[in-house]
Amino acid sequence: MGKQAIGAIAYNQFNRIDTLLYTLVYPQRPMVITKTIQLIHYDKLPAGQNATVVVMSYSGYDIEDALVLNKASIDRGFGRCQVFRKYTAEMQKYPNGRKDAIVPPMTDPQTGERIPKHAALDDDGLAIVGYKINSGEAMINKASPVDSMTTGIGGDRGPEDYRSAPTTYRIADPAYIDKVMISEIAGDRSIIKVQTRQTRRPELGDKFSSRHGQKGVVGIIVDQEDMPFSDTGLCPDIIMNPHGFPSRMTVGKLLECLTGKASIVHGRPSYGFGDAFRSHPVEEMSKVLVDHGFSWEGKDYFTSGLTGEPLEAYIFNGPIYYQRLKHMVQDKMHSRSRGPRAVLTRQPTEGRSREGGLRLGEMERDCLIAYGASQLLLERLMISSDGAEFDICQRCGLFGYKGYCQTCKSTKEVTQMTMPYAAKLLVQELISMNVGVRLQLEDEFPHPR
Amino acid sequence: MDAFFESGLGLERFFNQPFNQDEGKGDNASPDYNPSQSSSSIDRALSVSPLAKIIRDTVNMADYDHPMHDDIGLGPSVVIHEADSTAVKFEASNVSLPMMNSLRRVMMAEIPTLAIDLVEIEENTSVLADEFIAHRLGLIPLHALGADKLMAQRDCECEQYCDRCSVRLSLHVKCTTDENMNVYARDLIVQSEGDDRYPQRGHPVINDPDGNGTLIIKLRKDQEVKLDCIAKKGIAKEHAKWMATTAVGFEYDPHNNLRHTDLWYEQDPKKEWPLSENAKHEEPHPEGTVFDYDAKPSRFYIRVESSGVLPPDVIVKQGVEVMQKKLAGILHELHNSGDNGMGGAGDEYDGPRSPDVDAGGGDNWDGFQTAYGAVNSTANQSAWGNAGGSTTPGYGTSYGNSGGYTGFN
Repeated sequence: MGKQAIGAIAYNQFNRIDTLLYTLVYPQRPMVITKTIQLIHYDKLPAGQNATVVVMSYSGYDIEDALVLNKASIDRGFGRCQVFRKYTAEMQKYPNGRKDAIVPPMTDPQTGERIPKHAALDDDGLAIVGYKINSGEAMINKASPVDSMTTGIGGDRGPEDYRSAPTTYRIADPAYIDKVMISEIAGDRSIIKVQTRQTRRPELGDKFSSRHGQKGVVGIIVDQEDMPFSDTGLCPDIIMNPHGFPSRMTVGKLLECLTGKASIVHGRPSYGFGDAFRSHPVEEMSKVLVDHGFSWEGKDYFTSGLTGEPLEAYIFNGPIYYQRLKHMVQDKMHSRSRGPRAVLTRQPTEGRSREGGLRLGEMERDCLIAYGASQLLLERLMISSDGAEFDICQRCGLFGYKGYCQTCKSTKEVTQMTMPYAAKLLVQELISMNVGVRLQLEDEFPHPR
Repeated sequence: MDAFFESGLGLERFFNQPFNQDEGKGDNASPDYNPSQSSSSIDRALSVSPLAKIIRDTVNMADYDHPMHDDIGLGPSVVIHEADSTAVKFEASNVSLPMMNSLRRVMMAEIPTLAIDLVEIEENTSVLADEFIAHRLGLIPLHALGADKLMAQRDCECEQYCDRCSVRLSLHVKCTTDENMNVYARDLIVQSEGDDRYPQRGHPVINDPDGNGTLIIKLRKDQEVKLDCIAKKGIAKEHAKWMATTAVGFEYDPHNNLRHTDLWYEQDPKKEWPLSENAKHEEPHPEGTVFDYDAKPSRFYIRVESSGVLPPDVIVKQGVEVMQKKLAGILHELHNSGDNGMGGAGDEYDGPRSPDVDAGGGDNWDGFQTAYGAVNSTANQSAWGNAGGSTTPGYGTSYGNSGGYTGFN
């Protein structure tokens, strides 16, 4: 999963400030390699860890390629990664001679302490390195002049005031300030960069992959005492579902596992080749395993950690190089009950960054129609979206306002109805293009007379 | 057995006698044992080794309803096969499988030990981030003998931490030379006043020949790390840094006489499956034996490997103790809850349980109402319709206030 894998990217990775940088806390060189890996010196900048993998089904939380992770392994640093983010502010100069400024933090007039929004700021208005920063807090307390347009020549002078324009931290999970850099760019403007850092341990839904394209998300994290273990007490880091093998035919993964296992039981310091072209012969690996008291095909006797009974089948296990991919739930999880709406349509906004709603699209709508779930349809498309009340004149069929029809100059036949705001927009837009639209209303359930 | 006595770990005191190398036939160590005289199985167990006694007591607590076993003459017994300062391998017989597995799980997850839990960083100009160093410090093994006598931090009266509930260690290193400098666990200095009974408590475990301990960080010239660490008592259920064991081997029935597992093989299972080390202690059933469907496992081979924080014998002993305490808690709760159901008056055992259904009692939430229907006055208005009587054809009648439909009340 090359580009998505988290690992070391360069020797100067902690000196540079990238827009977004993921690094692994404990990267390892792979136990089983190919010639190409050797040629490109992959072991100098690795992106993954050798996980002890057991191929078996466990608890049903591993279906559809999900992985079961050992909680103790995570505690000890498996898959732990750091996320660095860059925030910049440019100090602009305006034609009238005014400049952006960094202003000191505001204090509460009563207590004399910093206001919560400025909790992470130093006296100079920049975040303090090492401080924890929470959502909504300012990192660069910039202020821009209100007057940036006047020429400043003669009597043409605007107000002297400054408007606060801070760079704030907007992510729900807190981070730490890692670096603050002040520099200058072309045109004598100074630029301020702040780098934040998060350390993340793997959690439910984080994505992992072996080097054979067998990607999967974490389905459950299990305590070590509940994990299956071999007669020697060996406990896996990852449990992988065997259904991943037959259809995908990733024989290389089996070879990697076997070669890796033979390498560790033998304590061989040199690399094991796991590719199809110059791999160590399987027979040789099997012989090594048998020589050390293991089964020739890499399977072992495993005991269930829950009951203490042996598992009925023997379990294929061994080290497999696993990569953590940069798709993490923390960056993706999202929900909304109430929230912001778009100005024009009054419909809920779209997208996680705008705290948006989840769209009930056309096909979903079709399903509800086909099923006849009219109340649900009404709720999803009107009540929970852009339903609005309108006054409608039943004589002329146009919109009224506050119970009064401007066209007919009367309140007589004005009635109220609820319709999507988007529909009202459509009607008005059509009217503006000289397409006459009249709304004719009638009782859906006429009163029996 | 020789290695065992030389280990000088106080194992002698613990597993004193008898060491039945002859397949550990439980009670044969007490020739004057007479089942008819003994009133309780505990008396009988007194003649066995203390560990066996503890295990037996625990068994008896577990089988609370019927202390008199079918196999009344066979009490639990323990035979030690190997023991040194890092691992103990023993065989327990005449105990049940759930019992021994529980012991294994408790030894792994619930023995209180010490680990650095809080790091106050004053200066860190090293290449590693603060939380990176804190994580590394947390995983450094600290001597935990006597950790169980330490107060749990959340039970302690102190505001944050004190000497009764924590051990404070400090680290202050600065590299002043041109060469890179390694910072090891030995550079951690214990600041708290120790307990005289446990002089080593809270000190980093150092086993390597150079006496360095774990490598924490490497420093370049002028880089400095200055921090205070607070080590607290905890169990591995919370975080693996409190784990006292590394690998715990657990096996029974090495010849698969009970057929709890299937031997997968291509030609000959005997050739393809090397026998485990424990196989020499048992005999395979001779060929042609009629399979006993009711047979239960009773001999277990356990190898406890310590991470170095506690001697292996202490791990086993404390594992049994923790288990006894847990069982005692359940028994206590069962006794107390006789008259008023689960979760009654004497809630001293605060184990997990679901919230009481009728807690408080006075809620006006009756459970079967919807949120809309709960308040009577608004019960038959629609959630969004206009309360004052809709004039909109199409919505008012079916939905609004025409009466008739009165919600869920």
